[in-house]
Amino acid sequence: MEKQTEPSSVYEVFVQRDHLDPMIHVGSLLAPTSELALQLARENFTRREQVLQIWVVPRIHIQSAEEADFHAREMDRSYREVSGYTENGRLWRMFKEKEITLEEIVRYVEQKKQSKNDLHREEGHES
Amino acid sequence: MDSQLLEEEFVKRVQSGAKIESNDWMPDGYRHLLIKLIHMHAVSEIMGVYPEKEWVPKAPNLRRKLALMAKVQDEMGHGQLLLRIVEDLAAPYGKGREELLDDLVEGKVKFHNVFHMEARTWADAGLIGWLIDGAAIINQASLLSTSYAPYARILKRICAEESFHMQHGENVILSIAMGTDKQRKMLQDSLNYWWYSLLFFFGPLETTPAAQKMLHYRIRTKTNEELRQKFLAKYVPRIWSLGLTIPDPTLHYDSKEERWYYTEPEWKTFQKIVSENKGPKSQERIALRRFAQDQHKWVRLAMTTEV
Amino acid sequence: MSHETNSLVPDQLTEQQRLILVDWLIQLADDEFIIGHRDSEWLGLCPTVEEDVAFSSIAQDEVGHAAFYYELIQELEGVSADYLAFHRPAHERKNSLLVERENGDWAYTIVRHYLYDLWDQIRLDAMVESSYVPLAHGAKKMKREEYYHLIHFQHWFTRLAKCEGEARERMKHAMELVEQDLDDLLDIGVIESDLISWGILTKPPVEMRSEFYSQYKELCKDLSDGSERRIIFSKQVSKGRMGQHSPALASVLENMTEVIRFDPNAQW
Repeated sequence: MEKQTEPSSVYEVFVQRDHLDPMIHVGSLLAPTSELALQLARENFTRREQVLQIWVVPRIHIQSAEEADFHAREMDRSYREVSGYTENGRLWRMFKEKEITLEEIVRYVEQKKQSKNDLHREEGHES
Repeated sequence: MDSQLLEEEFVKRVQSGAKIESNDWMPDGYRHLLIKLIHMHAVSEIMGVYPEKEWVPKAPNLRRKLALMAKVQDEMGHGQLLLRIVEDLAAPYGKGREELLDDLVEGKVKFHNVFHMEARTWADAGLIGWLIDGAAIINQASLLSTSYAPYARILKRICAEESFHMQHGENVILSIAMGTDKQRKMLQDSLNYWWYSLLFFFGPLETTPAAQKMLHYRIRTKTNEELRQKFLAKYVPRIWSLGLTIPDPTLHYDSKEERWYYTEPEWKTFQKIVSENKGPKSQERIALRRFAQDQHKWVRLAMTTEV
Repeated sequence: MSHETNSLVPDQLTEQQRLILVDWLIQLADDEFIIGHRDSEWLGLCPTVEEDVAFSSIAQDEVGHAAFYYELIQELEGVSADYLAFHRPAHERKNSLLVERENGDWAYTIVRHYLYDLWDQIRLDAMVESSYVPLAHGAKKMKREEYYHLIHFQHWFTRLAKCEGEARERMKHAMELVEQDLDDLLDIGVIESDLISWGILTKPPVEMRSEFYSQYKELCKDLSDGSERRIIFSKQVSKGRMGQHSPALASVLENMTEVIRFDPNAQW
């Protein structure tokens, strides 16, 4: 009599491409053990690209929401979005200034290419 | 390979821009500095909840109330993200969430000077959102290029959320600045109260040995003074444009030297506030944290008990 | 048109209909506003950092729902939502006593909120087909958002109730406290029959209450000590819907209006 083999189970595969990127789900595969799942993921998912890390997670260990209402966001939440404060630009103009954006700060702190506006501001400091 | 060589190799890598992951080998000194820095960052986010939280029940309209709740919630969320980073780093020392938060209650980990201060008025609450968050954002933006990848990833997320905080803070301040004489007076008073705390926030002028070490390991890439200068450059013109007076008559920009000159904060006084938890609100707020830690032990026990 | 569909149109309401509708909306708005306010007091003090974040979203949802109801009243009365939320004295407020009570411990917080949300769910169910269309629209949306609240509090409730020791004792005590305010919560006041006859509610309050109490009895089993509970709804004890409140609400309002009182002419 043949020996019964272990049934394969589903593993979800995640890859990280850059240190600043999160793990990204790329698909799933069948494998009998997590060790083999990891080895198979390497060739099934990343044979054409350089990645930093691969994770395999048994699907049975993943908890996901079943009801669509779980994700419901129905009422106005603009109070917690940048888009809820578009009037700032207009208000600052009343004071002859402009609003600051996060992108501007990051660019400025990292000393990447500054916009004309930033440069103009710094020249105007001697007041 | 002996540890001397490993260390040299490591430093060469980080100095040429390599990123370190939590499972990579790292020198103990690197790990200690990261734990110290990120632990302080995490508990500062959490202690930053309290000054603004006090104003949630008093927020003057529905939109402000909701926005402030969301903003304070984000601070707590940032604390959570950062604590997880520290927990992974501190695991080899057997330290987890409970221990890291107990450290705060027991005064073993410091938090930023600004969160020891009193939020006396709605203008204070607004100014915290505008200028203190502004200062914190400059600080965090400078850490985006840190050599420790898990920290960099979380900072990216934190900064994205801060962009709402910036707009919210500006909006609160603009409303007050456009308001009645009483409101404008309240705002000026607030700036007077917070100004030197803000300058101190970036840390001492000199680069301490610990700070030097952080630069060496590329945990940080900017000095305190560089960041303070950037803060002044971005915010002083806007403060002036609102018609406010900065409580420092010597403050000016020297275009030849391309730097701001300012009266230094009383370093020793502020240092004492941070190192001894002796600010106006230090003990009261630590007591709130102690409440959360101690009064809920039964809840955390119940959550982890097999039913 | 309103005649054909039997729906109530905002600018064609009779004076009596408008009054009844506003009374009901104020009950709903004040309930949501005050419980959201109480929830927000937990900021920074929850049992875990993760729960702190999750709980704050629930607080925001409740205040957001209150804002929705206040805006409906604003359309009917021409008084601003902010005025309704912040400027009315305690005796004009129609929230239930349950939501104004101080937060107490985590067990009380969970029991109160879970039972409140169970009732809120029943209320929303009775409004999704409401003859007042703006209310029906909102109820559908809010019902979707309340789904998360319900499963969250259900999880907490079951977890804490099924634990032996301190957790269970605290939960039992919390149930006793909350039970005293349930009749007050479930009361709708004298407008009850009009709400039904005009189709503002599509389920009779008597049925809503019996639905609630049967769910409540099931929950009591989790904390049962063997004794059978006799639950009879009594309007006699109801005060909140009549504007009679505990000192706890006065102190909430005192605190809430500090900035507004600083300069009554100001915009913030």
